Amino acid sequence: MKFMDWLDERLAVRQLIKVMLTEYYVPKNINFLWSFGVLIMVVFAILVVSGIFLLMYYKPDSHLAFDSVNKTIMMDVEYGWLFRHTHAVAASIMFLVLYVHMARGIYYGSFKAPREIVWITGYILFVLMAATAFTGYLLPWGQMSYWAAQTITTLFEKIPFIGPDLVVWIRGNYIVEDATLTRFFALHVVFLPLLLIVFTAIHLYAVRIVGSNNEDGIELTKEEKKHGKGIPFWPVFMAKEFFVISVFLIFFFYLVFYQYKFAMDPINFTPADYLQTPTHIYPEWYFLAFYEVLRGFFFSQNLGLIAFVLSMFIAAFLPWLDTSPIKSGNHRPLYKILFFIFVADFVFLTILGKLPPTGLYAWLGFAGSLVYFAFFFALPIISRIEKKKLEGGR
Amino acid sequence: MKELKILLILVVVVLVGYWGIEPYAHSVMHGEVKKPDYNYSDLKTTAATTGDPAKGKELFVANCASCHGLKNDGINPGMDKNAAIASFNVVPPDLSNIAAILDHKFLAAFIKNPQQATENPKFAMPPMAQLSDEDVGHIIAYLSSVAKKNLDGKEITIEACGRCHSIKYQKIYAETPAENLKAYLGKVPPDLSVMGKAKELEYLETFINNPQNGLPGTSMPRLGLTKESTEKVVAYLDQIADPHREQRNKLGMWVIGYLVVMVGLTFAWKKKIWKNIH
Amino acid sequence: MADEKVSRRDFLLYAMGAWAAVGVGSVLYAMYKTWEPLPEVKAQATVTFDLSSVEPGQIKVVSWRGKPVFVLRRTPDMAKCDGRSVKGDYTVVLGICTHLGCIPNWEPDKKIWHCPCHGGEYDACGKNIFGPPPRPLDVPPFKLEGNTIVLGEEGPEYKQMKEKGLTV
Ligand code: HEM
Ligand code: FES
Repeated sequence: MKFMDWLDERLAVRQLIKVMLTEYYVPKNINFLWSFGVLIMVVFAILVVSGIFLLMYYKPDSHLAFDSVNKTIMMDVEYGWLFRHTHAVAASIMFLVLYVHMARGIYYGSFKAPREIVWITGYILFVLMAATAFTGYLLPWGQMSYWAAQTITTLFEKIPFIGPDLVVWIRGNYIVEDATLTRFFALHVVFLPLLLIVFTAIHLYAVRIVGSNNEDGIELTKEEKKHGKGIPFWPVFMAKEFFVISVFLIFFFYLVFYQYKFAMDPINFTPADYLQTPTHIYPEWYFLAFYEVLRGFFFSQNLGLIAFVLSMFIAAFLPWLDTSPIKSGNHRPLYKILFFIFVADFVFLTILGKLPPTGLYAWLGFAGSLVYFAFFFALPIISRIEKKKLEGGR
Repeated sequence: MKELKILLILVVVVLVGYWGIEPYAHSVMHGEVKKPDYNYSDLKTTAATTGDPAKGKELFVANCASCHGLKNDGINPGMDKNAAIASFNVVPPDLSNIAAILDHKFLAAFIKNPQQATENPKFAMPPMAQLSDEDVGHIIAYLSSVAKKNLDGKEITIEACGRCHSIKYQKIYAETPAENLKAYLGKVPPDLSVMGKAKELEYLETFINNPQNGLPGTSMPRLGLTKESTEKVVAYLDQIADPHREQRNKLGMWVIGYLVVMVGLTFAWKKKIWKNIH
Repeated sequence: MADEKVSRRDFLLYAMGAWAAVGVGSVLYAMYKTWEPLPEVKAQATVTFDLSSVEPGQIKVVSWRGKPVFVLRRTPDMAKCDGRSVKGDYTVVLGICTHLGCIPNWEPDKKIWHCPCHGGEYDACGKNIFGPPPRPLDVPPFKLEGNTIVLGEEGPEYKQMKEKGLTV
């Protein structure tokens, strides 16, 4: 206790604990989906720690990278395989957790005022995470690594005027080569993780300022939360959080030890060969839906490309597309239906993204892409309907 | 209850997605893998598969030993390694154990017509048309009599694959230099160190049994391994590609056990804390 | 009543904390293990060397665990060493100055090792005869197999020398 007093005089720790933990209230009517933010941080911590240990043996050189991963780390280093499996599975599961986190935000209208900044910083985090995963995927220098980087960087060729030069600049070579590997490495292990940490801090700060949304989407004042409608962050909210994290970790480590193939594609156990493309190439599962939008407009490459970029970023504009004053999907029957159609469509696109883009699949991909955009363009319309109803009802 | 409903939706969505991108997509992409044919039933040959080993030895010395050695019986090849590489771009194998790993019917057909048996028109060994059907039988009987039995997976893999493929993580290097193999086969055969992870094991078995069934047009010759040898090769490739499997499976149980206890503890604590909150 | 509640909650919290500590400990153990030398490095732990390949008066340097080992076949005009010889007239010592770790050079005309860093000197037996070095050059662990010496393993000859305190 003496020590606490000493610290308190210097750092005001008691005050800090009160403000941050024991007297910070979250609404009582939130479910376990609100635990996913912390889950993301857990997965991020796992990525950083396992990444640091991979870094101790990984060699960012096109002649050495494959063997440093597949021989040194996977075979020679004690528990090296564990760190690699953990890192690869965590990178993959990160996106599952992110998508659930985002879907929660969409369903309960958490992107609406006053949480626009939370939503936008979150979206930036998603894009940064995608970039981190994409640059990291090149590092083992297998066939999938190589051809994913080769094809995605080729997309930049379509940018008017500067495209072709830009591609060469990004690669530092005419094809993906050693220079590309080394710069992706730098981005992956230093630059992008740093940005992720900075934006996570802003995101969390913004959440603290405006408070958590809840299942009913009805804002609660601090007083209301203090007296009955809320629970203190510590210990009450965290008590549940710990339970959720433990359950999640069982699922996670089950994948790490017994079901890791979805995150470590067999094709990537063949070293990169810039003279031969594997017969089947596809992105990691978390990019498949967007990839399918790219292929969905199979009759026009340019249209596909525009749709692809739009599909990646359109959700960032949700706060301005959906202007209905009602937040939660629980109280918006029409929106609820649209939401579940959207989720189903996203899964549908993800699956199609891995199938060959021929015959029926091509048309299904086109239809799926249209449904994807239809969701966003329907939002202003149903917002207006809901607004009218609300005014009429009053 | 409400939370369980949400969880259920989540689980269903994840499982449907998983089914789509893993089992379903793979079945669409790869289709059915053909079954291996260990009878080599496409090969029609009248050549015998057994005979008199003593006669076989004479025939071997007269017809085969100019290129092939047979260490088990102290026979050195008539041609040294470098001369062989210069003329064939590949080292002719020592035949000491060949009869223990190859199917004898395949071997008979092979001796008569290597290009047909291997399904590789550029296969380096010329057809031994001068040998009669009985002669072939004598030679096979001789080869069988000298072959070591019970070779393990590693030995068979080196004998069957090691002239062309390296397994560098095991410090096994192809007998023939890479540039000669490239001239012979059109490309350098891939390293086999992690092949057990790069390909499904069933596929490997089918492929080794008949490369054309896995990769139509490939320049890898059909080898004619017996079922047992093929399985041993596949098991060996699997094991060297994933040397920590046992440790991983065991550790996995410990980690999951640990977490189950953790779930119990966190659940009890949550119950306790939330008792008065409703 | 109230007290009991608190203690139960605390007990569970402490149990949770302790169990989490077990987990963290195991992870730290795995991390600790990742820093062990790799199998290839461990394979270099022993080196064999054929003593008879050294001519009288000649000195050869063998690399053992990345460190230089001097193998000198003495001639009668050099210092006499008795106990410090690994065998006959062979001096085998670790070529690392016992002062601050520089590598001494052999001076054939004086028949001594001279350390470039602070001028330490050792005779043909590796004994320090001048300058700052506090003790003779170390004799590495060795085992004799006829004319072959295995560095990195402790044979009976080495153990004897060690008992007499002649290896350091
Ligand atoms: C921030 C989130 C991160 C994501 C989403 C991510 C994602 C990935 C992915 C997808 C791979 C390729 C997977 C594979 O190994 O097959 C990878 C590899 C790698 N990552 Fe990360 N990573 C993250 C953070 C980090 C950090 C912070 C570090 C180091 C400080 C790191 C170091 C590495 C290294 C060295 C590799 C190459 C080794 C290997 O491929 O196994 N990563 N990462
Ligand atoms: S290090 Fe050799 S004398 Fe100082």
